[in-house]
Amino acid sequence: MRKRAGLLVPALAMVLSGVAGACGGGATTATGSGPQKGGMLRVVGSGDVDHLDPSSSYTVIAYNLGRTWTRQLVTYPAGGGISVAGEVVPDVAAALPKVSDDGKTYTFTLRPDVMWNTSPPRPIVAADFERGLKRLANPVQPSGGISYYTQTIDGFQEFFTAFQKQPKTAAGMAKFMNSTPIRGVQAVNPTTLRIQLTAPASDFLNIMALGFASAAPVEYEKYVPDGPDFRQNTISGGPYQITTYFAGRQIMLEHNPVWKQSSDPVRHRWVDRILVTLGQDSPDVVQQQLEAGVADLSWDQPVPTSAIPRLTGNPAYKVYEGSTLNPFLAFNMQSPNNNRALANVKVRQAINYVVNKAAIAQIYGGPKINSVLDGAIPPGSIGYDAAVRPYATPGGRGDVNRCKALLAEAGVTNLSLQFPYRTNGNHPKVAQSIAGDLTKCGITSQLIPTAPDDFYGRYLSSVQKSREGKWDIGAPGWIPDWYGNNARSIVVPLFDGRNYTEGSTNYGAYNDPAVNDLITRALTAPDAKAAEGLWRQTNARIMADAPIVPLTSQNVPIFHSERVRNTIYTPLTQQFDYTQLWLAS
Amino acid sequence: MSLTDAAFEAEPVHAEVVHGKGPWQLAWERLRRDKAAVISMAVIVLVALLALLAPLFALITGHDPLTQYPETALTPEGLPVGPGADFWLGADSLGRDLFVRLAYGARISLLVGLSATLLATVFGVVVGLLAGYYGGWVDGVLARVLDVVLSFPYLLVAIVLVAAVGASVALTIFVIAFFSFAAMARVVRGQTIGYREREFTEAVRSLGASPLRIMVIDVLPNLVAPVTVLASLLIPTSIVFEATLSFLGLGVDPRTPSWGAILADSTDFYRVAPGLLVFPAVLLLLTTLAFNLLGDGIRDALDPKR
Repeated sequence: MRKRAGLLVPALAMVLSGVAGACGGGATTATGSGPQKGGMLRVVGSGDVDHLDPSSSYTVIAYNLGRTWTRQLVTYPAGGGISVAGEVVPDVAAALPKVSDDGKTYTFTLRPDVMWNTSPPRPIVAADFERGLKRLANPVQPSGGISYYTQTIDGFQEFFTAFQKQPKTAAGMAKFMNSTPIRGVQAVNPTTLRIQLTAPASDFLNIMALGFASAAPVEYEKYVPDGPDFRQNTISGGPYQITTYFAGRQIMLEHNPVWKQSSDPVRHRWVDRILVTLGQDSPDVVQQQLEAGVADLSWDQPVPTSAIPRLTGNPAYKVYEGSTLNPFLAFNMQSPNNNRALANVKVRQAINYVVNKAAIAQIYGGPKINSVLDGAIPPGSIGYDAAVRPYATPGGRGDVNRCKALLAEAGVTNLSLQFPYRTNGNHPKVAQSIAGDLTKCGITSQLIPTAPDDFYGRYLSSVQKSREGKWDIGAPGWIPDWYGNNARSIVVPLFDGRNYTEGSTNYGAYNDPAVNDLITRALTAPDAKAAEGLWRQTNARIMADAPIVPLTSQNVPIFHSERVRNTIYTPLTQQFDYTQLWLAS
Repeated sequence: MSLTDAAFEAEPVHAEVVHGKGPWQLAWERLRRDKAAVISMAVIVLVALLALLAPLFALITGHDPLTQYPETALTPEGLPVGPGADFWLGADSLGRDLFVRLAYGARISLLVGLSATLLATVFGVVVGLLAGYYGGWVDGVLARVLDVVLSFPYLLVAIVLVAAVGASVALTIFVIAFFSFAAMARVVRGQTIGYREREFTEAVRSLGASPLRIMVIDVLPNLVAPVTVLASLLIPTSIVFEATLSFLGLGVDPRTPSWGAILADSTDFYRVAPGLLVFPAVLLLLTTLAFNLLGDGIRDALDPKR
């Protein structure tokens, strides 16, 4: 609902990973001194990125990392807080694109002097962005955000369908991409990219600002997307380049020698190097390292709940406002387990009643840090409706009797659910808390410990594993890209069943024609106000079907080492923008 | 203490002609005079009582070991309450009763410690007897198997197994037994080789006794002392190993009350709830120390010459 150049700007994003949700001002702890160059920013945490390839990266940690080495036509701004977080600014594009009168043609003009760190260096051109878009549809590791592009860009859906049938080799995919255009995407010349939409979409620029739409150099055609070879051979257009990548252990970023401040309107480069050290599974140890000054920022570990009372008032600690579904409980409606009990809406409603959401809030630090949710759309996002809370219980503490009654009505007994959970952060506690609630209603659950990097790829987002019933319930998190008019970044990815595919974030494969229809109407609504009413209806309809259990919306507490300065918070990644930070000497 | 062949050159039971007190009686009397061993036995009895009476404690407190009490056992910020009238030793980070969980945890620890030891002992004795008695290719094959087992990295194999099969108490017991039997088998094998050549075995062999009879009736009774000592030392090792696996989140279902898992939980909270760290740690320390000291005592009692 923010107007800008005749466009509305929403977008999506997401992410999963650790914890927490979003936003706040772009505050800084800087004192009087100006920016300082040099030093190594030391980031410590638990698990690796889900994907390093920007075409498939879909976690806050990968997204924040991508800010340092990938480039987009347009991007989100650094700082300014929640209110401007969705207002897209130019990046490789010299200015915001020209939009045709019918709202369907976008023409981007690129800066001529943004370079790849190839040897020899060469400019990033329109064809690189075209390639970046095409790669989203690859059959090996299709982008989790593919539906944003297939929904909007003319011919992308056909391209996607055809690409999915191609051989899953680097050579086969390169051949297909080079011989098959996307009808609506044209690299007119090296500095002009024209994109044709199927219908006006007020949030198109937000989609183009996502990491998915990053430029991809021709060298990437040699590798399977996000494969091991890709991960060792990333090419940078941003201020940093990845010089070391040890999967699950270490990521080192150093200066990209060909990057110029003059050709990058958003990023800066103050620190010399960024070292991400992985494998530290204890949030408390990470916190101790930050306080001792042997590390600067946490990668994916939350500020420990136990430390929050102690840290309140500390200048290096701040809570940033959020609007998230994090965590929520997803139902695998495709699961064959228990005679397909989870396909029964009464069973899902029963579980909605029994979960003690207040206890989940306590796990994450209590009511100051997060609040209980009863709807599919969190407050702060378009379509939020405080009146729609069909399964609300007093204090969010759960209601065992209603659960039992609904299960009896459904005629379901001896439910036993496969419940994978991530072994890092607060996830084990969330899983145990929910499992304890289910026990009260006579539902048993098998808790399956899962490496953080496997949770989505091997369970929730895997079509085959979902259909095999490898999981029944899971507690993922969802964080929209920005705030306000952002339903495309919440409702569409989580609840639109029309684009369910490998890597989908519609984990349970929810597919309701009425919801799908409402989504279409809301997305093409003439303005945000009209869209809002439709999104509210969508929210109500979804909650009636109960494809998820909304749990809490979390704010984001962040603690940093004493020497970190210019801490610009990025709502989209729930972290500080690495390209804005400097280190006090 | 080396439990090699030379350590147990005690008189073979067969040859013994003792009037009055038998060897076990003598050993018991020596053990009773060992203060450390007596205190250790008392500690073990107390831990066993804790485990046995766990359901009673659950009944008295009204707190099931699995039930979470987020409203009464946690502050609104989610911090566990300390020791008090309702929660005797305080609560864990999910609002479960720490004392009740520790009591149930004692069951897991003792169950795993004792069954893994029993399994390892039986298996180790059988393999050791076979290898030691038959020698030749049987010994060659079995001894190599033992070498392989002994050179396996414990934890790595455990982690892989848990990832492949899924965590369970039975798996934990199996893993511990698998890695412990080899040491037992080695000792038994060494002893058996010694006894195989002794005059009394030669004698029964010349009378036509079967190898099975010689192994079970003639050799095995002589091994009781070293096996008992070794087994009593295996128990604390198994308990610690189970705690290690649980601490790493590999042992049992995360909901199962296990000392190792409770310790793991404490890592995030020990600064605000020190009891979460101190109580299970002390319990684990006391239990393993007691078993170790008792093992030492048994060894000294059975083999006073040392």
